[in-house]
Amino acid sequence: MIFSGAILLIATFGIVTRRGFADWLGAYRYQSIVLAAVTALIAYVTGIWEIYIAAGLTLVIKSIIIPKVLLYVTRNLEIEFKVETNPYVSLRASVIISAFLVALSYFLTQQIPFKSDPIVSTYLPISIALFLIGLFVIVNRRSALNQVVGLLIIENGLFLFTLTLTHGVSLIIEMGIFADILVGIIISSILLLRISRTFDSLDVGKLQNLRDD
Amino acid sequence: MGRQYDNGMIDMKHITRYYQGFNVFLLTMLIVPIANNMGIMWVTVEATTLVSVLLIMLYFKQNAIESAWKYLIIATVGLSFALIGITFFYYANINVINSSDAMNWTEMMHNSKLFDPNLVKIAFVFILIGFGTKAGLAPMHTWLPDAHSEAPTPVSALLSGVLLNCAFYCIVRFHIISSSTIGPAFSSQLLIILAVISVGIAAASIYFQKDMKRMLAFSSVEHMGLISLGIGFGGLLGVYGTLLQIINHAIVKPMMFFASGTITQKYETKAISKITGVIKVMPATGVLFLIGGLALVGMPPFNIFLSEFLILGAGLKSGQFLATSLVIIFLVITFAVFLRHVIRMVFGNPSPEIKNDSMGRLAIIPVVILGSLVFILGVYIPEQLQTLVHNASAIINQGGST
Repeated sequence: MIFSGAILLIATFGIVTRRGFADWLGAYRYQSIVLAAVTALIAYVTGIWEIYIAAGLTLVIKSIIIPKVLLYVTRNLEIEFKVETNPYVSLRASVIISAFLVALSYFLTQQIPFKSDPIVSTYLPISIALFLIGLFVIVNRRSALNQVVGLLIIENGLFLFTLTLTHGVSLIIEMGIFADILVGIIISSILLLRISRTFDSLDVGKLQNLRDD
Repeated sequence: MGRQYDNGMIDMKHITRYYQGFNVFLLTMLIVPIANNMGIMWVTVEATTLVSVLLIMLYFKQNAIESAWKYLIIATVGLSFALIGITFFYYANINVINSSDAMNWTEMMHNSKLFDPNLVKIAFVFILIGFGTKAGLAPMHTWLPDAHSEAPTPVSALLSGVLLNCAFYCIVRFHIISSSTIGPAFSSQLLIILAVISVGIAAASIYFQKDMKRMLAFSSVEHMGLISLGIGFGGLLGVYGTLLQIINHAIVKPMMFFASGTITQKYETKAISKITGVIKVMPATGVLFLIGGLALVGMPPFNIFLSEFLILGAGLKSGQFLATSLVIIFLVITFAVFLRHVIRMVFGNPSPEIKNDSMGRLAIIPVVILGSLVFILGVYIPEQLQTLVHNASAIINQGGST
């Protein structure tokens, strides 16, 4: 179990350390497949059949549909839009910060009184780490594409979090959350296209017309 | 919209998209308060974000795209915090009772006395940050002025009048549960702190505003702050005033947005400095804009005065002297600067190239209806509304017994 958790974290670090969009998508797909496997594992341990469906949905939506949609949207973008050239914090420093965030999430989860349960103790810190690293990626990177990937990491973290803590909320809610992600990704890709056309860049640092001064 | 269609600013595709999005937006906001299941409530709040992003960037103008992107990222991240909070509450509930309805608010309320207090504290902080982002409480309000100022006018009115209240409603629901578990002190204190920051930031920002719709958006931040303050103060009177404030704000703010939309189309600018003499160019709109402005800052014959007075009175009664006096100071500042902007726009001499005619009678009708409501609710509250608000505040105070 701890092994699968480690793979999830490694995939996340893959996103933190890479500059190219294709690499992020690869890492994300890899992470989602492992996430689906973890979900199936939790379903097997707890014996709740609904979680198997959630695992299947994760596999289909996150590892196939979402990367396909993002690839389709970005197929016409120029190559320099897809590369993170100038993050606010350098890549090396980001790795160190992400490592700190992992340590922080282990520390934080020990402060909260949870029932002792192998699933919770293994995956909960990892889910919080995914959440924090996703936040860090959103704040740190300039590329709008990378912010979308950050949102996706956060979302994976949330999914793992709810799953480990509650052993799956009811299926309808899972479906709703999946639908929300899917629509969210589609809308953000429309926005991405529009940003790249109107601003001739995907650098969110350039989005600063609206401010109070 | 019709006028912009005539001017060729938008085509049929936009119109279709606008009406589709508008109604879906209304539907999602209707489901939020109806849903008993907290998970479905979260899903619909997230859905409101997605639909309203589409509505904000309807015209694909540069600023609208920028504000839509900020709104999408900030609101989605904020709501993921809220989902963590909801999960904590759910976890606390299934530790007490393992039923399939454990996600329901009524079920949570039923078991709330047995929840783990530490867990509830953490959960409420997450909820407050998450839905507070969506409700426009400072310091998580940064998306709000951008989105409200760049959206088409009817969408701004909906965002300000309805969406913020929907998000705040979610906070109130969890405030009730956490009050029942650990007593009201913890969550009230947090709400009051955020409220004071919101009112303060709004007061400062309104002073520096150059854009009319941004100014109205910051006034929404201020009013969300007041609403959160009222819930934080609690007591029957405070909550009663808060609910009235929600209703009043939901009436005045759309009225102001409609009026400002008409003015914007007339003057073809949103800059406060370029708009002068509205009352001479468009007498009816000018008078209504002035009434709305006076109501927003809480002048006596209008409705918001009543609810603000009740909230601040409840604050003094519950002994929160520091918070109350700070808020009163900020309100006085807002009063001065907001009225300065409004009066400068309404009076003065219009620049000669603006033609002296109204924008057509249809545009004025909704503003007149809302304006008369503003006046009526200021002097007289109908009995039905009174009962409704009274019963609702009883639920908030004692916890739902349903």
